[in-house]
Amino acid sequence: MFSQLFVNSLIAGAIYGLVASGFSLIYSTCKFVHFAHGATIAFSAYFFYFLFSFLGLNFWVSAILAVVFASWLGWLMNKVVYKKLRKRKAGNVILLIAGFALLIFFEALILMLFGADVKTIGYIKIAKGLEFLGAIITPLQIVIVAVSFVLLVALFLFMKKTKTGKAMRAVAGNKDAAEIVGISAEKIYSRSFIIGSAIAGIAAILVGLEQNLQPMMGTNLMIKGFTAAIIGGIGSVPGAILGSFLLGFAENYGIWFLPSGYKDAIAFVILFIFLLFRPYGILGIRKNFQK
Amino acid sequence: MISAYFIHLLILVGIYAILAVALQLAMGFTGLLNLGHIAFYCVGAYISALLALAGWPFWFCFLSAGIGAMLFGFLLAIPTNKLKGDYLALATLGFSFVIYAVALNWTGLTRGPLGLPGIPKPSLFGFVFSNNLSFLILTFIIALTSYFIIKQIASSPFGKVLEAIRDNELAVRVLGKNTFKMKSYALGISAFFAGIAGSLYAHYITFIDPSSFTLLQLIPVIAIVIIGGLASLRGTVIAAVVLVLLPEPLRFIGFPSSIVGPARQMIYALLLILILIYKPKGFYGKIELE
Repeated sequence: MFSQLFVNSLIAGAIYGLVASGFSLIYSTCKFVHFAHGATIAFSAYFFYFLFSFLGLNFWVSAILAVVFASWLGWLMNKVVYKKLRKRKAGNVILLIAGFALLIFFEALILMLFGADVKTIGYIKIAKGLEFLGAIITPLQIVIVAVSFVLLVALFLFMKKTKTGKAMRAVAGNKDAAEIVGISAEKIYSRSFIIGSAIAGIAAILVGLEQNLQPMMGTNLMIKGFTAAIIGGIGSVPGAILGSFLLGFAENYGIWFLPSGYKDAIAFVILFIFLLFRPYGILGIRKNFQK
Repeated sequence: MISAYFIHLLILVGIYAILAVALQLAMGFTGLLNLGHIAFYCVGAYISALLALAGWPFWFCFLSAGIGAMLFGFLLAIPTNKLKGDYLALATLGFSFVIYAVALNWTGLTRGPLGLPGIPKPSLFGFVFSNNLSFLILTFIIALTSYFIIKQIASSPFGKVLEAIRDNELAVRVLGKNTFKMKSYALGISAFFAGIAGSLYAHYITFIDPSSFTLLQLIPVIAIVIIGGLASLRGTVIAAVVLVLLPEPLRFIGFPSSIVGPARQMIYALLLILILIYKPKGFYGKIELE
């Protein structure tokens, strides 16, 4: 039981980590809560379902197209909605509400196009689990943990080593100073949307393979993602990853004390505790959180 | 047939108007971006439904719904007191999810996803509001009363303090006002009216389940408040009428309800985005967010 919960926590943490790191990347540069990140995930998961299960395209082709689609969707939302709002100097609360509206818009669109019933991608037919220290883990779940680990390391290196990554951190740290040295903040915003949303697209495929698709899946994942981001310290990508695993463990071990239906509620209780006592998270820097 | 349907729509207008006017007090006047508003509505609906099913009279259920929701409002005010902007929005949203999870999982009380059927129609002094026209009149009276009470509150000295808190909380504190107390009153009163709107909804539809209280149901309310204009009660009422009636032609063109339902949410979301971009103060608003 203990080791099974450990494995489950690890898988949940890996998925939340992908959601939260993309979200946190966008938050760190753009400084607002991109609610529609959940919509990106849900819509890309459905897009993947459409390509792979409905049209019957090759798995890898569908996967690549889904990730490209996710990037494009994130880029588009930034260009069509957020950029216009920024241009008229809207505050981050306005951007948050706009993101919320986008999330609802896409969820309703999914509901309209695909219906309310649950969809399964069904790529891996035989889900024969491997026994591992008394816990059962399917090959797919191993892939999920491995992919997310590789991606998160790659993201970390990208932020540390590449020019774009450095520019992103510069904008995140001080936008005005970054612009003075010739970094275009708008360009960086756009790039963080593209990269963050691509990670969301990968998360969408993994979630789609592991769980079923439902129109409201985006909201749920999004909430887990930002809870994880807040726990770890919002705007800090390593923090988001740390927070994701903590959340995964808290949720799964919480089932020992509570009925499993309350799994989602555990996340919010943790969110509340952090907002009350440590709103800047574990790794976050204490600034601006009350502004 | 159409007129019966029209009455149904007007009842919904009334319920949404109460919800939106209540949210206006917290969001427009006090500047609290409360995304947990739908949770108060949910609490009110469940309290009223459970009491009514236990045999209590309508007026008692109705008031308990308001007061119960108000207590939750005070409760929410405690942890969120110091939060602003993004953080407040996320915390209140989290609150609405906790309430939703409880409604879904506390099956002993709420019957979870099965919902509560057979909620009696309201009756007062022996008169049962069983047909929709009488219910419309009841809704209308309650909506009007709520509107005037909130209008009074907003224009009272207390309301002015709330507006001052919205504009500059620190300055109000410097003047020696207890802003925490003021904000929790505002949230409590706002929750009270959301609670009675929930009660009306429960007794009108006679069936509630947790799916009536999700984020999807929040979007029309937020859209009404922002499109009508922050801190404008008149705008809120006009927006409630327009927004509830606006997607209806879709139904008469002959789209099936599986299309009309999502289309309605999409229209609200789209309108909200357009307003935020092109007319950030809404139609009658006095202030912009933040």
